[in-house]
Amino acid sequence: MELTVVQALLIALFVAAVQSRGLGYATLTMRFSPMMTGLVVGLVMGRVPEAMVITAGIQLVYMGVIAPGGSMPSEPAVATAIAVPVALLAKMEPYEAIAIAIPVGLLGGYLYQFRFFLNTFIIRLSDKFAEELNDKGLWFSIMGLPIIVSFALYVPVMFLALYYGAPFIAEFTAANASSQLFHVLSVVGGGLAAVGIALSVHVIGKKEYIVFFILAFFLAYVLKPLGVTMITYAVLGSVLAFIYVLVTRLSKD
Amino acid sequence: MSKNMTPEKITQKDLHGAWFRWWWANEVPHAFDRYISPSLLLALMPLLRKLYKNDDDLREAYHRHLMFFNTQAIWGGGTITGIVASLEETRANQIANNEEVTVTHDLINNTKLGLMGALAGIGDAIDSGTVQYIFIAIALPWAQAGSPMGSLFPWIGFTLVTYLYGYYFTRNGYKLGRAAATELVSGKKMTAIIEGLSVLGLFMMGIIASSYVKVASVFTLNISGKEFVLQNILDGLLPGLLPFTVIMAIYFYFSKKGIKVTNAILGLTAVLGVLAWFNIL
Repeated sequence: MELTVVQALLIALFVAAVQSRGLGYATLTMRFSPMMTGLVVGLVMGRVPEAMVITAGIQLVYMGVIAPGGSMPSEPAVATAIAVPVALLAKMEPYEAIAIAIPVGLLGGYLYQFRFFLNTFIIRLSDKFAEELNDKGLWFSIMGLPIIVSFALYVPVMFLALYYGAPFIAEFTAANASSQLFHVLSVVGGGLAAVGIALSVHVIGKKEYIVFFILAFFLAYVLKPLGVTMITYAVLGSVLAFIYVLVTRLSKD
Repeated sequence: MSKNMTPEKITQKDLHGAWFRWWWANEVPHAFDRYISPSLLLALMPLLRKLYKNDDDLREAYHRHLMFFNTQAIWGGGTITGIVASLEETRANQIANNEEVTVTHDLINNTKLGLMGALAGIGDAIDSGTVQYIFIAIALPWAQAGSPMGSLFPWIGFTLVTYLYGYYFTRNGYKLGRAAATELVSGKKMTAIIEGLSVLGLFMMGIIASSYVKVASVFTLNISGKEFVLQNILDGLLPGLLPFTVIMAIYFYFSKKGIKVTNAILGLTAVLGVLAWFNIL
């Protein structure tokens, strides 16, 4: 690819800003739809109308209107930041360009997980500032530091991918050592949520109530194939809670 | 005492401030063990300062909102920000007036935990699943014609509309919380409601745990041409056995050794990391 240093850096900064979620809920559609990333790439490259046409094509691929014939890259903002310059410079079709972005999207997804992992340690700092009632410190540990961390993760990766080309990232993701590292990271990431859950179970109500947690946990596992919604479970849980209160009150009377 | 200990009133402006900070922080501090609880603390901080004039009560409230919390930003976050603001206000007044404190720490926490999952389910389906695509579908033809409006319209439109009804949920949540809280103050129903909410909170936590905690074995063994897949055997015994074991192990660790979260995280990271490195998990 032939992007200038400044162009690659600008696009990398935009993607990092989106992935850091630093612009609040405004980043939801920026992260999950290719539209805004496509526009920014067009602006940076000075080819807005062409970039828009390509981006619309990528959006259709993501919406399932155009079958890409293969797997879809995760992290649409990350993948689009690679696919649009590729399509513009190599005169490719949108669905071909987005396929090239698959490994970079994959890496983008891992970085997002890694961000959660690092934030898990930043929260210890928030605990300390909460103990000290230090509001400025809390702003730094809740907003400032996590955003800095995201930029540190995404800017170099996106810059390298944009400047040296997506194959560079593809080689990196495919390399043995790094894929083993990603495996470890995703296992640790998948398991760490247990700490927050165990903490909440530990602090809610009486010890004997844990049976309701156990009931719900295995119920959800058994019913997984049925695709029961959260709202259904909330209704079931409320009914269960109501019955529990009725029965305990009856036994008291 | 020189300092005025009476809680200040929460104004419309305070509520909007809380909603804005929640909306802004939202996914920024997302962490593995406690998800987006720090965002709710950030949202409520100035309100809590107005309510709790005693440092110990304030500190307890700060810690309360750093505990596990995750929901969808608009439907869940908006409503819960409003409800929690009103519950904290009632609690602060009860403490300041030396009344019986019916809005307990547990009641506030269980309300959050009971509501967050269900509201997130509604919010995800409606906002990211429907509203977003309505805007995109309207704007796609403009993008196909090469106009930047194809990108700007769905971004601005979706962001603005969700911001507005999220704020509406915050205000309604606050009103709802106040109405509920005044009824709760009557006392007798209180224990029943706390118990009911605890049951609902734990039930929803169990549902959430089944999808959030992901521990699975990738261990396979080839014995004379026969594939031996550990996870299949485990699933045959009891689906969810591994994540359940991990949660319970940490639960008992907290029960025995006290709540040492950093130790739990480091220990779990080490154990899972080693098992993953040797391709057992």
